[in-house]
Parts: sequence; C-alpha cells; structure tokens
Amino acid sequence: MSLNWENSPATADYSIEELVITVLAEQFNNGEQATNGMGSFIPVAAFMLAKKTHAPDLIWLASSIGLECRPERIPASTLEAPLWRDSIMYLEQYSDFWDLVQNNWINKFCVGAGQLDQYGNANNSVIGGSDYHRPKVRLPGTAGLADLCSLNKKLYYWNLNHSPRSLVEKVDFISGAGYLDGGDARERLGLGDGPQLVVTNLAVMDFHPDSKRMRLKSVHPGSTVEEVQQATGFELLIPEEGVPNTRVPTQAQISLIRDVIDPDGMRNK
Amino acid sequence: MQEKITSLEEAIAPIRDGDVVALQIMATYAAPMTLVRELIRQKKKDLGLVVLIGGIAVDWLANAGVINRLIGAAVTMEQFGLCQQYRKAVEQGRIRVEEISESVLNARLGAGARGLPFLTTRGAIGTDLMKENSDNMKMLDDPFGGMPVMACRALVPDFALIHAHRADRYGNIQYEPGARWPDLAIMPKAAKHVVVTAEEIVDSEVLRRHPERTILPGFKVDAVVEVPNGAHPTSFFPNYGYDTQFHREWTSVSRNDEKATEFIDRYIRSPASQSEYLELIGGEERLEYLKEWEGKR
Repeated sequence: MSLNWENSPATADYSIEELVITVLAEQFNNGEQATNGMGSFIPVAAFMLAKKTHAPDLIWLASSIGLECRPERIPASTLEAPLWRDSIMYLEQYSDFWDLVQNNWINKFCVGAGQLDQYGNANNSVIGGSDYHRPKVRLPGTAGLADLCSLNKKLYYWNLNHSPRSLVEKVDFISGAGYLDGGDARERLGLGDGPQLVVTNLAVMDFHPDSKRMRLKSVHPGSTVEEVQQATGFELLIPEEGVPNTRVPTQAQISLIRDVIDPDGMRNK
Repeated sequence: MQEKITSLEEAIAPIRDGDVVALQIMATYAAPMTLVRELIRQKKKDLGLVVLIGGIAVDWLANAGVINRLIGAAVTMEQFGLCQQYRKAVEQGRIRVEEISESVLNARLGAGARGLPFLTTRGAIGTDLMKENSDNMKMLDDPFGGMPVMACRALVPDFALIHAHRADRYGNIQYEPGARWPDLAIMPKAAKHVVVTAEEIVDSEVLRRHPERTILPGFKVDAVVEVPNGAHPTSFFPNYGYDTQFHREWTSVSRNDEKATEFIDRYIRSPASQSEYLELIGGEERLEYLKEWEGKR
C-alpha cells in the first residue's frame, strides 16, 4: 500500500462504526495472531485495517478456518468461504482449530456480547426469566466464546449499543469468563489474560489492573463522561487525571475502510 | 461387500422418537438438509439434537416439534439473524438446551469416538455452563500435579446425519478439501449409526483416485442416499453458496407461528421428492445462480 497512512491528518468525517474500527485496529500488531467469529464485520474491518497500515504481519485467522486469508473486501458473511479467500492454510476440522488454540497460539479474539458486566464477564446465552431453562430471551449461545475466554486469550469487545441493558452490573449468565468477581478471581482458577478493552459507540473502556473493574479510558468526541456513565448499568471507574477524547480516525484510515476494505458497507449492517 | 444405498425414507426410518441425533451444520453451511426435511416428513418427535452451531435446520425442527432438547454451542443463522422458532420453543420450555462450548463438544464427541468415559478441556472453566450441565462437565484435579481441568463426559449420539461430496455404493464417503468444520472429524465416529447424503454416488474406482479425500470408511456408514444439492439452502463448499433469498423468505415468516408452519407445509411437507423441492425453490435457474458464488475458486 503506497498510501501514506502514517502522516495522514485526522478527519471529522467519520461514522461511529468507522471510529470503533480504527480504535480496535490499533490493538492488533505484527507478530500476533487474531481470529474473528461470525457476524463480526467490525472486528474483520479492524484486522484488515491493521494489516494495511501498522501491522502487515498480523496473522489473521478468518472465522477460525482460513489462516492468513486475503479477501479483497468484506463479504456478506464473516463465517463463510468468501472470507477465507487466498488463505495459506485451512484449519479444516474444528478440532484443528481447538488443538492450536488450547495452547497459546491464536492469542487475540475480537467479539461482541449481548451483555457485558463490570468485570468483563460476557453473556451470549440467556437473559432474564424464572431460570436458565425458561429464559425471557434465548440468545444464540456461547459458541467458542467460553473457550477463548478461559484459554489465556486477550479479548476485545465491541458494542454499538452502549446502554444499561448491554453493560450491566452482573451478567445473567456467564457464557465467557472475564475477571469473574474481580481482583484475582480469574488468576486463582489458572486463567491467564482476559478482557482488555471494550469499545462502544460512546467510549473506550479498559480494566483496572488490581480490582479488574471496568474503567473509562476515553470518550468519543460528542459524548461526555456523564453521558457515558448514565448509559452504563454500573459505576465506571473514572481516572482522577481525567478522561481524554478518543483519537479520531485519519483521512487515510477512512479512505481505506470506505474504498478498499468495505466498499459494500457491511460495517453498517 | 454390503451395499449401503437406500432411499431417504428408509435412511431416516430407523431413527426412533427420543433418539439423540447429531447434525452436521454451522450456521449457514454444509447441513444435510434433505435428511432434516425427512425427519419432519416422518413426524419424528422428542429427538435430542447435537449441533456445533445450528442454523435454519434447527428452526424448522423446532417449528415441527421434532426436537425437545438441544446439545450444542450455539444456534443462529449468522447474517440472517436468530432462529426465532427455536428461540420461542426454548423460552416456552418446549426445548431444553444443554449448552456446551465448542471445545467441550469436541471433548465430549472425541471421548465418544474413542470409547473413553471423558476427555478434558481447559476451555469454559469459570463460566456458568458447568453449573447448568453438571451431569456432563466436572472439574477434575490433574493427577500429574498441574491446574485442575474440566472433564467432559462422552457423548454417543444414536445417529449422525451428514452430507458429503461423493460416496460409493458401499458407503465410503469423500469430502472435498477445504473447510470441513461442521465436525466431520469426530461426530460421525462417535455416533452409533451414520446416515449420509452425497451430491453424487460414484464407482469405487473414482474414490480410489483420491483416497486422501475419503473421510469415512464404508463399514462405519449405515445408509447412503444420492441427493444433488442436498445442502440447500445452506452452502456446500466449493460446490455452491448459501441461498440468501430463501433464508430471507424464511426469516420474513419465522416470527409468526402460523406463517412459519405454512412455509414448512409448502417447502417440506408438500414436495414428494428432492427434485420437486428443488423446482419449488426456483429450479435449475436458481441452482445455477448459487453455483456462481463469491467463494468459488
């Protein structure tokens, strides 16, 4: 890519999806291996953007199947064959993927969750109802999330609907272990790494290194700390030194997203 | 050698109400959809369904009252959204979900395939999955002194239903290289009986040209049926893509019980054969279109 992305100026012409993509892209670097799940246009766009800018040697495993794939643009599904185009290897059987993942290969996962709580526990299983077997809402299910959360991976969550319903004090069901009850609860079970960042339509959050509570890292231009707190179902940690604005995308990043990576606008679906 | 070729009716007939049936499927791809439709046509009931990631098939089986429990990691049609008939059945208590993660399913079927009581994983530790499924998942001390692991009880389905690229009359099954994700490695090996539909039945000599593509030996397979386009409306790499229009037609009615049932009457209960079904969904023109998909190499 001859485009000079390093010195490209910031732009005010971006959508929230594009901002979330650029924030996430910064988290993926050369020498790391990352994978995406289904319905994951934002993570896929972030990986593709990282590879086209600062991280050409990021190893991307498309939907746990196509290693180092090279799709020309984001297709209509992040699970199906068009995404695995030009892979160097297929992990043909799903046991091939889990054999690699259960050790410390494939170390980053970017994913969405129906509910996420103050300790980064994720729920994609059931919401409400009298008990687990009579839920108010049956969500798709954990798929591989439960595994990736417990297998020493770094997890990056995205959420385009920051609200007290999606960011809750305690998830109704832990389908993916975050920091559990906080502190060293996760470590005591022998689980390494864990949730790193939560990027929403309003803000970016990380986790306090000791308490493991979710902490406001930056607010997107146009939102305020108060607004973000109001839209969150629990008390966010607010750093005393203040909360900066999220860095906005550059012109180069935006043109890569719009013209090269995702001309069909899958990120908006 | 024993011949395994049979009809859809005969292939599915031995499945008894209450059996545990493992289905090859992953959201929108590679499901043996004619076998799914045959389960509905034969009015099977109270089946336990094992899936990695269930899609439209699970929604249909839920509407038709074929299944009353599901053992699997997820159910969704990915870009086409949640399976609404399945979701409603779970919320109303008509389907009981034994949710397990992918590595747990891998371990449970792996143990089943190898004749072991359990295999272990370190996935899913710390989640609530174990709490709701303590009959099948238990923490176990490492006898060699490391961190505890999760023991996952062997799962032996009564039947495995799969769709493959080709087979011979003796039940040797070939699959094209590529993604074989919806669990062709262990699921059929774990099951007591295996029923296969194949895009084509060929002479054994054709299989012998590419023995590396044979994924199941005939002695492990009970029944084989030739069904071209047998995965429709799911995709079948590299032969054809998923049918977007057909999935959308389903999701446009799937929130409404009556309309969903009408859809199933029209597309599943009415057609007398796979060729009638294929005519209904748009015939040769539609099938040609699905062959020209983005994933085709």
